[in-house]
Amino acid sequence: MKFKIKSWNSVAIWKWLANDDKCGICRAPFDGCCSDCKIPGDDCPLVWGVCSHCFHMHCIMKWLAAQQNQICPMCRQDWALKSDLP
Amino acid sequence: MSLKPKKVDFTVTWNALKRTIEGVVTLSKVPRVEWNDRFTDVYSLCVAHPDPFTNQLYSETKEFLTRHVQSLREQIIQFENNSDLLKVYHEMWIKYSQGVSYLNKLYSYLNQQHVKKSKLSEADLTYGGIGDLPGHMVEIGELGLEIWRLEMLEKIKDNLIELVLEAIRIDRKGDSAVPTTVVNGVIQSFVAVEDPKLRVPGDPSTHLTFYEKSFEEPFLRDTGQYYQKEANKLIETCSVAEYMEKVIQKLHEEDMRARRYLHPTSYAKLSAECHRRLVTDHASLLHAECLQMVENDRRKDLANMYCLLKPLSGGLGFLADTVEQHIQNEGLDAIKSMKPETAHTDFVENMVVVQKKYKEIVSNIFNSDQLFLSALDKACTKVINWRGQASQPGQAKLPPCKSPELLAKYCDTLLKKSTKGFSEQEVDEKLNNSIMIFKYIEDKDVFQKFYARNLARRLIHQLSNSMDAEEGMINRLKQACGYEFTNKLHRMFTDVSVSNDLCNKFNDYLTSQNLTTGVGFSVQVLQAGAWPLQSNYPVQVPQVLEKSVHIFETFYSKQFNGRKLTWLHHLSTSDVKLNYTKRTYFITMQTLQLSLLTHFEIQDSLSCKELQELTQLNDDAFTRHLQSLIDCKLLLASSKVSEVHPTELTADTIIELNKNYSNKRSKFRISGAMQKETPQEVEHTFASVEEDRKIFIQAAIVRIIKSRKVIKHNVLIQEVLNLSYTRFSPTISIIKKCVETLIERQYLERTPNSTDEYSYVA
Repeated sequence: MKFKIKSWNSVAIWKWLANDDKCGICRAPFDGCCSDCKIPGDDCPLVWGVCSHCFHMHCIMKWLAAQQNQICPMCRQDWALKSDLP
Repeated sequence: MSLKPKKVDFTVTWNALKRTIEGVVTLSKVPRVEWNDRFTDVYSLCVAHPDPFTNQLYSETKEFLTRHVQSLREQIIQFENNSDLLKVYHEMWIKYSQGVSYLNKLYSYLNQQHVKKSKLSEADLTYGGIGDLPGHMVEIGELGLEIWRLEMLEKIKDNLIELVLEAIRIDRKGDSAVPTTVVNGVIQSFVAVEDPKLRVPGDPSTHLTFYEKSFEEPFLRDTGQYYQKEANKLIETCSVAEYMEKVIQKLHEEDMRARRYLHPTSYAKLSAECHRRLVTDHASLLHAECLQMVENDRRKDLANMYCLLKPLSGGLGFLADTVEQHIQNEGLDAIKSMKPETAHTDFVENMVVVQKKYKEIVSNIFNSDQLFLSALDKACTKVINWRGQASQPGQAKLPPCKSPELLAKYCDTLLKKSTKGFSEQEVDEKLNNSIMIFKYIEDKDVFQKFYARNLARRLIHQLSNSMDAEEGMINRLKQACGYEFTNKLHRMFTDVSVSNDLCNKFNDYLTSQNLTTGVGFSVQVLQAGAWPLQSNYPVQVPQVLEKSVHIFETFYSKQFNGRKLTWLHHLSTSDVKLNYTKRTYFITMQTLQLSLLTHFEIQDSLSCKELQELTQLNDDAFTRHLQSLIDCKLLLASSKVSEVHPTELTADTIIELNKNYSNKRSKFRISGAMQKETPQEVEHTFASVEEDRKIFIQAAIVRIIKSRKVIKHNVLIQEVLNLSYTRFSPTISIIKKCVETLIERQYLERTPNSTDEYSYVA
């Protein structure tokens, strides 16, 4: 071996795997956070419904708490969390 | 002794009383017993039976005092036009005023019982204008002083005042022979005999009418004439600097003189008069000298100038303007000729020198006067945001200001690990200076962009000298510009520590799963939104590393839901051990450089074309990284093929592994092309700033209109400027463009009836 790699410091960026670039409820970008949070990232995560729509977790919780029927605000189907993610 | 009213013989009692009074007002000896008895006499006359003799007593006393003063005046008449007049008058006055005050006590029964009763009420004084009612009584003390004023002062005051003025003139010449007490006593006598009837309660300007009219007025006139002549004499004989010095001294002397001789109400009037004659009348002369003083840094003269011009209304404006212009010139001079390599250091440090110098002058010489502080600020702002002079009006746009970029670079050199070896305090102080410069910068958003890029580079490549210093700087920026401004910088910081945790978790995962990456693997996983990074081209990593990538991706998708990882291999680095050289070398290099090198594992030489096919890099990246390896002599480019341009790489150039590589150090880092800012990157930064500004302005416009519903064009522009000035100063045209865009996108519309009004479209 002419070259032996001793260590590797790699760099990667991450993005939410969302089908839109903004949250349908607060209209803030998924890169940012919901209107109640200050710092985006792990403290303000996204959630996906089985209907494939995606929101800030805080936003959809607030929406569901205010509704009688647990439906997705985008497509009016019953809201349920999707378990198997891409 | 009985207090009961009884019959009294007025003539007998009065004659006795008169003898005592005579003794009192001439301050000759009055026996104690006699003095005591006279109290009884005054009392018994005032309560005499069947009719009290109050009025008679009062008029007899008045008569007596008048005659006494008249006789004194006859004595003094021989001193008229004689300089002894002052002395004699003073002696008489002291004696008389003292005597009258005793007399006032002697007559206290009369004062209290009769005068008080007949005193006019305030309302009468204000509305009646009754003035000198015949038979109207005043207290005996006041009566005595009034008589003095009428019978003595009014008659000889012209001579008296002429002598007082003469004495003060002599005093001004510095002659110490002036009898201060006498002159002061004479002046004070004018105040003492003030007519109380002329006083309007609550209006102090009426309290000293006699003093002001008869003494102060001629005195001020005389002073004015004196200093007018004096000023002209001085100007002819000495320079402006000396003149100021002398004037300050004279003003000071005059101030002391006022305190020696005058009544306190005159202090301000006197110094105002002197100031008018010595400074205001010659302001243009002083102004003419300002520029020279500022240019030659004549601090003492400037201090004098400040001190003299300050009381003038608007007097400092000219000086402040001169100072501002000079700071601006000096600042521009300081940053004019900078070598491109050291421009960042030169710019900041030269500017700091200029700012500190004038800051010190402003606080020491100009007493931290608001006017001069703002002159300093204005000048610094102009210099720091200087974009060059438009050679013709209406010329094409000036280039963007370089200062934000230079300042960011300066901070970068301070925070980077370097060989310069500044101590912690030095770095701290320099960073503080940077913040001082930063506050003057108008395009703060441009600075932020450059700063973020530099910070990203320092964090990713672990180039920071100290994390504390980094954090300290971010906090300073936060203090200067608010949370919003440093938000992203903070998030970058958080990401670094989050990544460390993640690496630890990953290592635990490897152990638990019995996996190995084969290399010492670490990773920084960063949030796309917070970092100024792009994945500009796909990179094939060397095969040895692919395993790590796969394992980590599996691990990451188990850890987090719904996140997409993008590798930025052009930013990653690796430590490589060279086994083919005589000595063993450990080199830290970029992954791209490594992936080029690893293709020489099997062969020792490859053509450029072959190499590029193997690595699948685009032309630009390929040439840059290959060149960097050739530059550090790890690879050799055969010059046989391209003798014409030995340094230029063509598709046919043969690249060879340098097996005889040697270096003094066995552990080192080869810096890649990426470490330098390319002009494209700079341009890209400016473009993204421009984009961000548009978004910021549009958001501001919508916010303003949403709250106002309807707004005039000019008001809107002003509000936008107010909202954005902490970050940048937008041009009017860009605001207009943003308004157009928003109208197109139907956020707002022009109101139908007006040409310059917008309304919000809900």
